[in-house]
Amino acid sequence: MTPRFLSRPGVWFAPVSMALALTVGLVAVEPATVQAQGPGLVKVAEAERIATIDKVKPAVAAVCFYNGKVCGSGVVISDDGYCLTNFHVVQPTGAILACGLADGKLYDSVLVGQDKVGDVALVKLLPKKPGDKFPFVKLGDSDICHAGEWSLAMGNPFGLAMDFNPTVTFGLISGVNRYQPPEGKGTLEYTDCIQIDTSINPGNSGGPLFNMKGELIGINGRGSFDKRGRVNSGVGYAISINQIKNFLGHLKAGIDTDHATLGASFSTDAEEGDLSKIFVGSVLDESDAFRRGLKPQDQLIAFAGRSTTSVNQYKNILGIFPKDWRVPLRYRRGTTSKEMLVRLMGNIDTVKEPEPGAVPPMPNPGQPRPVPQPPMPGVEKAKQSEAAKMYVAKKGYANFYFNTLLQDQILAEMKKNFGDFGKLTGDWTLEGNVQLADRGGNLKLTWIDDKTGVTEMKMARDGIEDSVKPLGEKLGQAELSLPQGSGGLLAALWQYRLLMTQLRDGMNPNANINPGFVHAGSEPFYPPPADGKMPADLNDLRVDCDVLKTKKGQFETKWYFHQKDRTLLGCEATYTKDEDPCELFFYDWKAVGDVKLPHKIVCKFADKTFATLTARTYTLVKK
Amino acid sequence: MFRWMFPAVLALGFAAAPAPAAEPVNKVADQVNEKMVKIFGSGGFKGLVNYSTGILVSEDGHILTVASQALDTAELIVHLYDGRKMKAVVVVTEPVLDIALLKIKVDGKKLDEPTGLNLPFFNYAESLKRPLAEAGDWVLGFSNQFEIATRNEPMSVQQGTVSSYSKLHGRRGIFDFPYTGEVYVIDAITNNPGAGGGALVDRKGQLLGIIGREIKNTQSETWINYAIPLSAKVEVVEKDKPKTVSLPEFVSLAMQGKYKPTEKQIVSITAGGFHGMRFVPNILERTPPYVDELHPNSPAVKAGIQINDLVSFIDGEPIYSIKSFNDYMRKTKPKTTVRLEVRRGDNLVTIDLPLEEWPKGLLPTLPTPKNIDPPK
Repeated sequence: MTPRFLSRPGVWFAPVSMALALTVGLVAVEPATVQAQGPGLVKVAEAERIATIDKVKPAVAAVCFYNGKVCGSGVVISDDGYCLTNFHVVQPTGAILACGLADGKLYDSVLVGQDKVGDVALVKLLPKKPGDKFPFVKLGDSDICHAGEWSLAMGNPFGLAMDFNPTVTFGLISGVNRYQPPEGKGTLEYTDCIQIDTSINPGNSGGPLFNMKGELIGINGRGSFDKRGRVNSGVGYAISINQIKNFLGHLKAGIDTDHATLGASFSTDAEEGDLSKIFVGSVLDESDAFRRGLKPQDQLIAFAGRSTTSVNQYKNILGIFPKDWRVPLRYRRGTTSKEMLVRLMGNIDTVKEPEPGAVPPMPNPGQPRPVPQPPMPGVEKAKQSEAAKMYVAKKGYANFYFNTLLQDQILAEMKKNFGDFGKLTGDWTLEGNVQLADRGGNLKLTWIDDKTGVTEMKMARDGIEDSVKPLGEKLGQAELSLPQGSGGLLAALWQYRLLMTQLRDGMNPNANINPGFVHAGSEPFYPPPADGKMPADLNDLRVDCDVLKTKKGQFETKWYFHQKDRTLLGCEATYTKDEDPCELFFYDWKAVGDVKLPHKIVCKFADKTFATLTARTYTLVKK
Repeated sequence: MFRWMFPAVLALGFAAAPAPAAEPVNKVADQVNEKMVKIFGSGGFKGLVNYSTGILVSEDGHILTVASQALDTAELIVHLYDGRKMKAVVVVTEPVLDIALLKIKVDGKKLDEPTGLNLPFFNYAESLKRPLAEAGDWVLGFSNQFEIATRNEPMSVQQGTVSSYSKLHGRRGIFDFPYTGEVYVIDAITNNPGAGGGALVDRKGQLLGIIGREIKNTQSETWINYAIPLSAKVEVVEKDKPKTVSLPEFVSLAMQGKYKPTEKQIVSITAGGFHGMRFVPNILERTPPYVDELHPNSPAVKAGIQINDLVSFIDGEPIYSIKSFNDYMRKTKPKTTVRLEVRRGDNLVTIDLPLEEWPKGLLPTLPTPKNIDPPK
C-alpha cells in the first residue's frame, strides 16, 4: 500500500529534491538506503511484523478435545509445556485434553489450574519424548500497554486450521483497563481487560494477544456483540497478562482459584462537575477491612497502589487479585488519609458452579464461544493416556496432582535450606531476650512433649509464665491466644516446630476431604524491615511468596516462602476466622548443629507489634 | 520538502526502530480523546440505546453529534475526558443531515452566554480546509460504543481504511435513513450501538467526519459502517422550493444560535397507489413477487400484467421479495406511474403502470411488520 504522499499532485518534486538534499550537507548514503523511502518503509514494517509472527507462532496452541477436535486456542509460556487458555475452553474438553501446535502435532495435555471468574486456565502439554522442550513466549507487561498500539491475535477462529497453523489478525488496542461485567452465573468477569479491534471470533478463545515485540500481553476471550451476531463486531476483549501473573502461582498449584472481594460496598457520589469520589457504603463484620478499621462514609483514594476514580476502576483493580491476597488501601476520613494492608476475602459463594462435562457453556452475548461440540467419541481413550496419570480430582482444586508436586518441591527445598529436623523430635528450648511494647527482659521458650505426645508450649519472661497445650481439650480463646495480646504466639511457635519436625505427616491426615498440608499458590507478604522503620508506602515492603497452608486441630496457618531465595519469611497463624491472625516474621537465620533456625522472631497482632524475640541459644534434643 | 527529509534520516540512523508505517497512534489517541464527550440520555429499550458520543467543536462546550433518539430527553448528561459530569442541552437538530448540536449547560449561566470552560476542541473551520480523504486512506474511529467507557475512561479507538466516498442512498428504501448525501464508507466496524457522533480522524488526529448510526441494507441484510464528512451537503425541497443544506453552514450558524432546521416533509405512510396485483402467499422469508391474481379492471390488467409474471424491477430498482415490493409501493401516490420490469418466461418485459386510488371497500389495513400484504 503506497503512502498517501506519493500520489498527491504537487509532491512529485520530492524525490528529486530529496536526492539533492542528500548530496548537500547530509551524510552520503548508499543507493540501497535511498530505496527504503516511501513504499520501502511499508515493506520494512511488514517484514518486521512477519518476523514477529514467525517467532511466536510455534508456541500458539489449538486447544482440543482429546481426539483432536478443536475447541479453542492457547499459548505455551514455558519450555516444560505450561500453556494458558480460557476456562470456558477447558470446560467442554475436560481435564484430559490435547493441544495442537504449529508443527502439526497433537500433544496429550492435562488441566493444571483454573480461574472460573477470571476465565483463565493453565494446562500442561506432555512432550512426545521425556525431556523434549517446547517453544514458548515471553510474558509482557500489560500495564504499559496503551490505546493506539498495534497488536497481534493468534488462534483458531472457526476451527479453520486443520493442521493447527494459527490464524493471525492485526489491529489496534482500542482501550485498556476496561471492565466487562460477569455473564449469567457470575463467571467470566473481565476486569482491567484489554479492548481490541484486532479481529477475534469463536475459536480464538484462550489464544494469545501479542504486542509488536511478540510479548504476550493478554489472553483473548470475549467480545461485544449486538445486531451482527456472534462474530467480530470490532470490539474484542483480552484478559491482561498482569492479572494472569497474579494467579499464576495458584494455577500452577492446581488450585480452582477464587477471586477477591473486599467485604465492603462502594458508591459514587452523583455530584456533577467534580471528578467522581468513591465512598464506602457498608462493611461486612467478618471482613478484614472491618477489622482494619474501614468505616462507612470513608472515601476510597487508592487501592493496591492505583487511584480509584470510578466504581468501574475499583472493580477493575479488585478483579485482578486472588482471594486471600493482602493489598494496600488508602482512604480518607474527614481531613486525614490513612493507609492499611487489607486481606481480601473470597467470592465463590456468589458464583454458581458451572456444569462440567462436554456441554459447551451457555451462549451469551459476551463471549466468542469455542466451536460447539456434541459429546466426543474417542474421549474414553483419554482415560488411558499418560495425561490421565497426572490428574487427581479433589474439591477446591482443578488438579490436585500438581499441588502434590509443588508440596514435594517445597519439602525438598526446606530440607536443603533448613536441614533435616526429622530426628530433633525431643524437647526444644530457646533462651534469649524478649522486647515487648512497654518492657523487655530475659526469655525462655520451651516445647515439651508429654508421654502421650501432646506438646506443651511454655514462655517464661521476667517472672511471668504462660503455657498452653495447643492440642488439649476444651480450649477457649483465652488459652489459644496466649500470651494475651499476641493473637496466639505460643500456638504459632508450636506449629513451627511441628512443621519442621514432622512436615506433611504431622498435619491433619484427612487427605481426601480437607488435607492438612497443601500448597496454597502465591501471595504477597509484607515483612517489616529488620530495623523496624516502616516506609511511607506500604507497597515497598511487598515480597512475593509461595504459600504452604497447614491444618492441625483448630489451627490453620500459612507459611510464606520467598519466591526467589526460598527462605521462610514468616507465617500467619489462625485458630478462628473471627480474629486477626498471629503474624510471625523470621530473621537472622543461623546454624544450630545441622539445621538452621531464626534467631530473631517478630510477632505482630492486629497491626501492632506484640513482641520481638531474640534467641541466644537453641537447645534441640534428639530422639 | 522537510517532510521527506525526515524519513530519510530515520532510514539512515535508526534501523532498529519500528518503521514509521507501523508506529503506534497512542499520542493521537490521547489528543483526540480530550476533544470528545460521552453522552447519556433517554431510551434504552427496543434496540435503542440511551447513550452516544459527541465531538467538541468549541472551547465553550458546543458538541456535534448524530441526531439519535438518546437526545430525546430533558436531562442530557455528558462526561468529559477528565471525568467531569456536566449537563447538556440540544441547541438545534437538522434532520436531513441527521446531525444535532448540543451545548454544555453550566449552572448560573444562560445557554447563549459563554461557559468559560476552555475545553480542548476540534476547530471545524480549519478541519474543513483540508482535502477529503480518499479510498485507501488510513483512518481512526473514536467513540463510546457499547458504553464501554464512563467518566474519565478513554474512548474506544479503532483503525481502518476509507473504502469509498459515495452516496449511500442511491435507492429508496434500501437504507432507512434520513441523510441522502455522501458518506465515507469505512472497512472498520465503527458503527456499533452508541458510536453515533464519534469522530473519524486521519492518523494525525485531524477530523474527517462524524461516525453515524447503525444502519442495515434491507435487501442484503448487511450492516455498513459510515461517517458523515465535514463538508456534507444535501439538496432538499422545503415548502416546494429547492434548498441546499450543508453541514459547515449548520455548524457555524448553530453555534451562533442562528440556524433554522429544515421543516420535515410529512410523508404519509399509506398503502400507496393501487395496482391490483395479488402475489403468491408470502410464506418464505423472501417470497418472490409472482403475480397470482389480478383484480378485475385494475391498473395492472389495463397495463398488460399477466398471471405468473415475476415483478423484477420497479423504477430501475431490483425487487427481491413481496415485502420489498410492498415497502416500495407504500411510498407511491395514486395518479403517478411506476415503471415495472417483469420476467415473463425467458423475457424481461417493461410495463409502465399508472397507479390509481384504492377502490372503496378494498382499502388494505395499515402496514405492520407482519401484515404487509393487502387482504383478499
